[in-house]
Amino acid sequence: MNIQVAAQATGPRADTGRDAGIGRDAAMRRMMLAFLVAGFGALLVGATIGPLQALNYAGINAYPSLRPLLQTYYQGLTIHGVLNGYVFTFFVTCGLLVYLPARELGVTPGLAPWRACFGLMAAGTACLLYAMFDNSSSVLWTFYPPLKGSPFFYFGMTLLTIGSTMPLPILLAMRATWKRARPGQVTPLVTYMSLVTMLMWVMAGIGALAELVLQLDPWSIGLIAAVDPIIDRTLFWLTGHPIVYFWLMPAYISWYGLLSRQAGGKLVSDPMARLTFALLMVFALPVGTHHQFADPGFSQVWRGILVVLTMSVAMPSLITAFTLGLSLEYAGRLRGGTGLFGWFRALPWGDPSVAAQVLAAVTFILGGATGIVNGSWQLDAIVHNTIFVPGHFHVTVGSVTAMTFMAITFWMVPHLTGRRLVSRRLALAAAWLWFAGMMLFAVGMQWAGLYGVPRRAWISALPHGTYHALYGAASVPLALVAAGGVVLWLATYAFFAVFFGTILFGRRAAPPPVPFAQAIGGPADHAIDAPPSPAGAGPSPLARALEHVWILAGVTLVAAAAAYVPILWPFLHHVTRAPGWVLW
Amino acid sequence: MSEEQGMTPFEAAFHASAERHERVWTFCVIVMLALLTIGTMFYVVRDYGLVSATGAFYTDPADPAREAAFADGKIVRTGPNAYAVYVVGRAWHWSPDVIRVPAGAEITFYVTSADVLHGFEIQGTAVNLTAVPGVVGSVKYTFRRPGVYHIICNEYCGMLHHAMVARIVVTPSQAVTTGTPS
Repeated sequence: MNIQVAAQATGPRADTGRDAGIGRDAAMRRMMLAFLVAGFGALLVGATIGPLQALNYAGINAYPSLRPLLQTYYQGLTIHGVLNGYVFTFFVTCGLLVYLPARELGVTPGLAPWRACFGLMAAGTACLLYAMFDNSSSVLWTFYPPLKGSPFFYFGMTLLTIGSTMPLPILLAMRATWKRARPGQVTPLVTYMSLVTMLMWVMAGIGALAELVLQLDPWSIGLIAAVDPIIDRTLFWLTGHPIVYFWLMPAYISWYGLLSRQAGGKLVSDPMARLTFALLMVFALPVGTHHQFADPGFSQVWRGILVVLTMSVAMPSLITAFTLGLSLEYAGRLRGGTGLFGWFRALPWGDPSVAAQVLAAVTFILGGATGIVNGSWQLDAIVHNTIFVPGHFHVTVGSVTAMTFMAITFWMVPHLTGRRLVSRRLALAAAWLWFAGMMLFAVGMQWAGLYGVPRRAWISALPHGTYHALYGAASVPLALVAAGGVVLWLATYAFFAVFFGTILFGRRAAPPPVPFAQAIGGPADHAIDAPPSPAGAGPSPLARALEHVWILAGVTLVAAAAAYVPILWPFLHHVTRAPGWVLW
Repeated sequence: MSEEQGMTPFEAAFHASAERHERVWTFCVIVMLALLTIGTMFYVVRDYGLVSATGAFYTDPADPAREAAFADGKIVRTGPNAYAVYVVGRAWHWSPDVIRVPAGAEITFYVTSADVLHGFEIQGTAVNLTAVPGVVGSVKYTFRRPGVYHIICNEYCGMLHHAMVARIVVTPSQAVTTGTPS
């Protein structure tokens, strides 16, 4: 892998070109921009379809008017879920988790493997788009067999997943280069968090890749006749819940690694940020088991143990709430905020990047609380597969991840293109509209879920009488769902007007630097060619202990095996084989 | 802590205050989680009833005996106040499509699928079980109030998934009628 010292100043220093690496620096920026455009392009399509699902729940069936482009609600839902949940998040994450560490370390990433990562994911996305838009694979984003989509769907998903793991070797190589120049120092925070995220994802991806490569790919082309649906379901969720952390952790990186500085302060605790990421990695894999509380076939005692395992993942989220809240308070007080909540009002709310991230963090409070419901066996029984669940993950992924990624573009697109944001007001409007729409939508969904309204169901296609007999009691929350969907639609287009408007028409200006936050008491710059840290700014014992990422990875694998072997064991001893069905 | 060296006085004071508040925060979070858990469990049991999953057994999807066990959606009295109900989901209906059981009786539902994954959800209760081809899952439940409850499919199973609906008629008396074949 070709690693060179970056030709660009990094961290909070001036972002000016240096030496002979300006060409490589431009290539880095172009690649990052390509990841952003590909990811947000997917979001544009996925989010355009999204409100149709929201209207569906209010009994408004818009799908017949969309033929022949879209045949059914289920086709639309498949496209919405795959593009938003996989393609958008994977592209943006695989860009950020290489670009930010490269800037922080002052090391140029291996451009060839980064391009290969993009290429594999783009090829996978092309296959998926073909398979979804020709209505051959309306299997939703969970693609549970024995419902059977086309080979393009499963091979596309395989390529996308493999591509998304490729930043790990790039990160390891950059970190090794930096460590050779800075022996004995701990990995800088953003790079550490990026590395832990990718390590977690590569381990988690084993489940989906095993399901795809060993079962669904050969099944889809006729090499094997039948698959075991519940084993495949288990493998899916080995990846399926950790994927939530693959969505969330890049947003956390922005909150910990950048937001404090953007808000005008510092990160109050570097070690707690590291601890959060270490815990997220260790807990992420076992926690997927709670998706199978409603599945038959494994012991009741084990279900109880899995509740405890699932609850454990609340810990890093609560640490984040405290550390992030305190960092924002520090910034607010530096800006003159006084009293109990004066610091909150004093935050730079006129900065759309800050506003969007703080609002995302506020919505996450609801997301975290409802996650506790999903993770409790008896509570889950009431809401399992109801629209309570998408209500929950829209205030986690749909707010924390999507809003934070949008917030990042508000500084990053000017940084990458040297063009000023076309409209800060419209960007702010997009953030507030998204916040309002998501809260309406999520509260409505979670409320309606308590009435037993199922998720992933084309209920607007039911006869009027049947719709009201089944879901009439939930008419108020379902109306909120529809209203939230429409507001989110407006937010989406406000955002894209700013995003594409800036890339295409923004006025030329000096590119702003990457706003890396400094931890209280920590060094101001981590770049490979920066001066050594001042005396006394050394890492804490906790940070040093957490530096052993391979030990943490080993613990994660042991924890995952401990959670999954008791579930898979009975399934493997009673293998059932189901033929494929195409039922749409 | 080593990172406290090199801080400004304001930073050091803020940092010390943060450590104190971290303990308060952790305590408050534990209390809040405990109250939330106890409160919601109380709410669940009061409004939805207790559910216990009793396990699963496996069948060969090609075995004719399995088909016979589920074909007519049997309802069997297994004790003075206990019934077993055999339910099979297939795209896109439940068999039986009407189940009559008395209030107050312990009902064990045995649920499987004849084709793809289905979700066996009884609205207004905590009965929620994935129906898997080749696997018979079971769940025990007691309906406390007479009335009509809807069974819906909550696991996407194809084009008419949303229309996969059946009914449970909970009668006030011990008199129970058999299910109606679909």
